Amino acid sequence: MIPGAWICLLSPLAGALAITLAGTRLSRRGAAYLSTLSCFVAFGGALASFAGSLGEKPHERHHLSTAWTWIQGGSYKSGLEVLVDPLSVMMMLIVSGVGALIVAYSIGYMDSDDEERRYFAYMSLFVFSMLLLVQGGNLILLLAGWGMVGLSSYLLIGFWHERPSAVAAAKKAFVMNAVGDATMALAFFLTIQKTGTLSFGALNALHGHSGWVVNLVALGLLGGAVAKSAQLPLQTWLPDAMEGPTPVSALIHAATMVTAGVYLIVRTHAAFELAPKVQDLAAGLGAATLLLAGLIALVQVDIKRVIAYSTMSQIGYMFLGAGLGAYANSMFHLMTHAFFKALLFMAAGIVIHALAGEQDMRRMGGMRALMPRTYWAFLVGALALVGVPPFAGFFSKDSILAAAMGHGWYGYILWIAGLVGAFLTGVYTFRMLFMVFWGEPSAFAREHFHTLKRDVPGLALEIPVVVLAVLSVIGGWLQFAPTWHPVATWLDTVAAPLVSPTNWQEAVSSVLAVVLGLAGIGLAWLLYAAPRRRPIPRTAFWQRTLEHKFYFDELYDTLFYVPSSFVARALGFVVERPLILGGSTELGTETREVGGLFARLQTGLLRTYALAIASSLAVLAIVFVAVKCRPF
Amino acid sequence: MPTLLICLPLGAALVIWALPLNRVSAGSLAVLAALAEVGVWIQMLARFHFSRGGLQFPGHRNWFRDLHVSYHVGVYAFSVWLVGLTVVVMAACIAYAFWAGRDRTRAYFGLMLFLDAAIVGVFVAQDLLLFYAFFEAMLIPLYVLVGVWGGPGRIAATLKFVIYTMAGSLLMLAAVIVYGLQKGTFDLTTIGTSGSNWLFLGFAAAFAIKAPLFPLHGWLPDAYRESPPEVAAVLSGIVSKAATYGFLRIAIVKFPGPTHVLRTPILVLAAIGLVYGSLLAFRAPDLRGVVAYSSLAQMGLITFGVFAVNDLGLNGAVLQMVNHGLISATLFLLAGMVERRTTTGELTRIGGLARGRPALATMLMTTGIIALAVPLSSAFAGEFLILAGVFRRGWGWAAVGAVAIVLAAMYMLRLISAVLHRETGPSVTDAALDLRPAELGVTVPLVACLLALSAWPAAISGHSFAHHISTRSGWTSYGPMKSP
Amino acid sequence: MLGPDVAWYLAVAGFLFGTGALGVLLRRNPLIVLLSLEIMLNGGNLALIGYSRHLGRGGGQIFALSVMAVAASEVVVGLGLVVALNRRRVPLDVDRLNSLRG
Repeated sequence: MIPGAWICLLSPLAGALAITLAGTRLSRRGAAYLSTLSCFVAFGGALASFAGSLGEKPHERHHLSTAWTWIQGGSYKSGLEVLVDPLSVMMMLIVSGVGALIVAYSIGYMDSDDEERRYFAYMSLFVFSMLLLVQGGNLILLLAGWGMVGLSSYLLIGFWHERPSAVAAAKKAFVMNAVGDATMALAFFLTIQKTGTLSFGALNALHGHSGWVVNLVALGLLGGAVAKSAQLPLQTWLPDAMEGPTPVSALIHAATMVTAGVYLIVRTHAAFELAPKVQDLAAGLGAATLLLAGLIALVQVDIKRVIAYSTMSQIGYMFLGAGLGAYANSMFHLMTHAFFKALLFMAAGIVIHALAGEQDMRRMGGMRALMPRTYWAFLVGALALVGVPPFAGFFSKDSILAAAMGHGWYGYILWIAGLVGAFLTGVYTFRMLFMVFWGEPSAFAREHFHTLKRDVPGLALEIPVVVLAVLSVIGGWLQFAPTWHPVATWLDTVAAPLVSPTNWQEAVSSVLAVVLGLAGIGLAWLLYAAPRRRPIPRTAFWQRTLEHKFYFDELYDTLFYVPSSFVARALGFVVERPLILGGSTELGTETREVGGLFARLQTGLLRTYALAIASSLAVLAIVFVAVKCRPF
Repeated sequence: MPTLLICLPLGAALVIWALPLNRVSAGSLAVLAALAEVGVWIQMLARFHFSRGGLQFPGHRNWFRDLHVSYHVGVYAFSVWLVGLTVVVMAACIAYAFWAGRDRTRAYFGLMLFLDAAIVGVFVAQDLLLFYAFFEAMLIPLYVLVGVWGGPGRIAATLKFVIYTMAGSLLMLAAVIVYGLQKGTFDLTTIGTSGSNWLFLGFAAAFAIKAPLFPLHGWLPDAYRESPPEVAAVLSGIVSKAATYGFLRIAIVKFPGPTHVLRTPILVLAAIGLVYGSLLAFRAPDLRGVVAYSSLAQMGLITFGVFAVNDLGLNGAVLQMVNHGLISATLFLLAGMVERRTTTGELTRIGGLARGRPALATMLMTTGIIALAVPLSSAFAGEFLILAGVFRRGWGWAAVGAVAIVLAAMYMLRLISAVLHRETGPSVTDAALDLRPAELGVTVPLVACLLALSAWPAAISGHSFAHHISTRSGWTSYGPMKSP
Repeated sequence: MLGPDVAWYLAVAGFLFGTGALGVLLRRNPLIVLLSLEIMLNGGNLALIGYSRHLGRGGGQIFALSVMAVAASEVVVGLGLVVALNRRRVPLDVDRLNSLRG
C-alpha cells in the first residue's frame, strides 16, 4: 500500500522528467503516450493503496511514510512524507483516475499542435503536483504541492504563449494563487510559533490557544483555499483561465486544482472547528459565490466560460458543505462533480474541435443533428449537473443542502441560497445546451463542421468521454443519504461530520432542489428552445453588471494593480533617482568645492608665500622658546 | 586546506600573468584552476565533521606578534557552504568568459582568479585584520574588471561602486582597529564581545553598503548593468554574500548587545529594501534591471533572517545565501546570453524568444520559477525558514515578507513572459540561436545544484550550525564562540 | 669690551631685517625684492656677529660666513631668473607673476 502511494506520486513526475530530457528524440505522439501511461500507472498505484486500505480496520487506516528530512531549522524539521489515509486515497483515485482520462483525451485534442511534447510534460507535472498536494504528509508538503499546482496551471494556461491574452491570464492566475500561498504561509508561521511543528496533528494541538490565534490560522488557510478554488473574493482568475486548451480546463478547472481548496478545508477541519466563525465564513463565501457565478453564467456567450462559471458555482456548494461540517458530503460532491464537469468540458471540446476552434455559442446551433453521440454525452453531463435523479449530481448536491437546515437561521439563509442556485443551474446549463445543440444548424456550423475520424486521435477523444458519461450516471449511486452511505463511513475516521441531517430534512431538500432544477430547465426551454420563444427578459443595468462579472476585475485593477504600478513608478522617480544619481554626484561636487576652497590659498603670488613662511616661522620660534624656557 | 583554497587560484593567476600564454592556453588554465578549486572544496566537504562544533581545518601563522595579529584561517559549517558557493559560481563564470572570449585574456583571467582567492579568503579568515585585508582585496580586481571590460557607462559605475564601498570599508577599518586594540587581540576565535554601539555601526556600515541594504544601494543598478555578465554574476552572487557573512560572523556574534538594541532599525531597512526592490524590479525596463533589483530585495530578505537571531532565521539565511547566489549568477549569465543574441536587454525590444529555442526557454523558465520561490524549491525552503524565524520577532515582518512573495511572483513572471512569450520583439532575429552546448554546460550545473537543493534543502539548513541556538540569549552555544 | 652694547647691534639688525621684510612684501619689482632679501640676510648676519662678540664665542661669526655664501649663491640664481624673465619680455611685476596659482 505504501509502495503504491509512492508509485502513484512519483510516476507522473518521472513521466514529466523523461519527456523533458528526451526532447526532440521522442516523437510527439510518443510523448503523449508516455504521459498517459505515467498517469495510468499512478492510477494503478492509487488502486493498490485503496485495496490495501480496504483490507484494514478503519482506525488503522493512517500511514505516514517518510523519505528523508526535507527542511530543517534548528529544532523545527519536516520530512518528505506521504500520508495514506481514507481522505488521501479518495483524492488519489479521483485525481489520477480522472487525470489519466483527460490526458488520454488530450492525445486526440492536441494532435495537431507543434508543441505537444511541452504540453504533455506540463500535464504530467500538474498531475504530480496535485498528487503531492493530496498525498503530502505534513502542512509544508501540502503547501509545496499547492504552489506547484499553481505553477503548473500557469504553464498550462499560458501554453499558447504567442497570445498576449493567454499570457496575461496565466500571470493573473498565478499571482492570485500566490496571494493565497502567502496567507497560508502566514498561518503556518503562527502554527510553528505556537506548536513548533507543521504536522497535521499540529492543528489539533492548537486547542487551548487563544481565540485570535486559532482564528488567524483558520483565516489564513481559508485565504489559500479561496484563492485556489476561485471563490469570492479571489475568483477573477478562473474565467480568464479558459485561454488554455480545453483539456487543461477539464483537468484544472473541473476535476483537480479548484477542488484543492475543498480538500484543504476537509483536511484541516480541526483548525476550522476550533474557529467556528471562520468556518461559517467559509460557508457564507461558498453560498455567495454559487449565486454570483450562477448569475454571471446566464449572460456568457463562450461555451467554456459557462462551464467555468458553473464550476465556480459547484465549488461554492462544496465550500458550503465543508463550512457546515458536512465533510463527507462535500467530498462526495467533489467526486461526482469531477466526473460530470470533466465530461462537459470534454464534450464541449469535441464540439469546439469539430468547429475549427470556435467557442462562441451564438455561432453554433443545431449540433444535435450533426454530432448525436456528443449531444447525448453532453446531455448526460448537463442532467447530472442540474441534479436530476438518477444522475450523479442529485445524490451529492442535495445532501449538502440538507445539512444547511440544521444550522440555525444562518443555515436557512444558506439553504435558500443553495436552492436558488439549483434553479440558476438549471437555467444556465440548459440555456447552453439548447443554444448549442437544438434548433437548426447555423450557417457557421454547416460551413466549418468536420466529423471525427476513426483513428487514434478520434478514438482518444471519444473513449474517455464515454467512460465519464457512464460514471456521471452511476457515480452517484455510491451514496444515497438516508440508507446507504459508504462514502461517509469511509471518511469517518478522518473527518467526522459535524452535522447529520434527518431523513425529513433530506427529503424536503431533495424534492425542492429537483423541482427547482426542473423549473430552471423549463424556463430555459421557454426562452431558448420552445417553438414560440418568449423574449428574454433584459434590463440594461443587470445586463451590464453581469457581463462585467459584477465589476470585480475593474475593482481589483483599481485597488491593487494601478496603485502598485503607480507606487513603483513614483518610487523610481522620487527615491531611486536621487539615491543613485544624487548622492554620489553630489559627493563628487562637494569634494571638488572643498578642494577649490583650499586651492584659493595658492595665489601664485610670491609675497603671499613669503608672508606665510615668515609668519609660521615666527610662530614656531615663539612657541619653541616659550616651551623651552618656560618664562611663565 | 583553506590556505590551499586561497593559494591555488592565486598561484594560477600569477602563472597566467607571468607567462606569455595565448588566449586558449590562458583560458584553459584558468578553467582548470577553477575546477581544481571545486575539487579541493569537495574534498574538504567530504572530510568535514558536521556533528562537531567549532573551527575545522585550522591554519595559523603569526603576523604582527606584538599586536596579536595572525594569519588565522579555518572553516565552520556555514562557511563551508559559502566557500562552495564561491568556487562553483566562479568556475561557471570563468568557463563562460573563456567561451565568450574577452580581449586581454591573460589580464582578465588573472584578475578573475585573484578575485576567487580574495573571496574565499573573506570566508575563511579568522582574524579581523586578515578579514579586512581580504575584504578590500576583493575590490581591486572588481575595479579593473568592471572598469575595463564593462559596458558604455562603466567608468562612472566603477567609480561610484568603488568609492561607495571604500567609504564603508574605511569605517570598518576604524572599528577593527579600535576593537582589536581594546581587546588586545585581533583573532576572531578568541576575541571577546563588545557592547559598543559605535563599533557595531562601523562594521554594519561596511556590510550594509556591500550587501546592499536600502538606502545604501546607490551603486547597485549601474554596477550590475555595466559589468560584463559573468562579473555581474560574481558581484551579485558572491560578493554580496561576503557582506551578510560579515553580519553573521562578526556583527551579531561579537556585538550581542548592540544587535539587540539596533535590531529593529535594521529589520525596518531590510523590510523596506525587500518591498522597494520588488516594486522597482516590477517596473524595471531592462533584463538586468529586474535581476539587479530582485537582488536588492533578496538581500533584504537574507538580512531579515540574519537579524532574527534564532535557529530558524539563521539556518534559513545561510540556505538562502547559497540559493540566491546560484540563482542570481544563473540569471545574470542567462541575461548575458540573451544580450549577446539581441544586442540589447530592453524588455520592450525582446520577446517571443521561446519559439524555436527550447533550451533557452527551459533554462530561463526553470531558473525564473525557482527564483520566485515556488513551493518545493530550495528558495522557498529558505524563504519559509527566514520568515518563520522573523515571525517570532513580530508578525509584522512576516506579513511584509508575505507581500514580497506575491510581488516576487509578479516581477519574475513579467520577466519570463517579456523575454520568452508574446510576439517576437524588434531586436530578435533568426540569427539569435538557441543556447549552445557550451552555454548549457555553464548554466546546467548551477541549475542542477539548485534542483538538488530543492530536493534536499536540509543539506544546508540542517548542517550549518552544529548546536541548537538558544533564542533567548542568542549565542550561548553557537559555534564561533567556542575556542577552536 | 669696546664699542656699543649688544642691544644697539640688535636694534640696527632688527631695523635692517624689518626694512628688508617690508621690501620683500611690498615692492613689486623682483630685483628690488631680491635686494630687500639681501638686506634681511645682512640684518640677520649683524645679529649673529653682535651676539658672537657679546658672548665671546666664535660660532656666530662662522655661521655668518656661511650665510653670506648661501646669500651669494641665491643672488646668482635669483638674478639669473630675473634676467631670463626680462629676456622673454615678461613684465617684471611680482603681482602679475601668478601662473602657478591653484
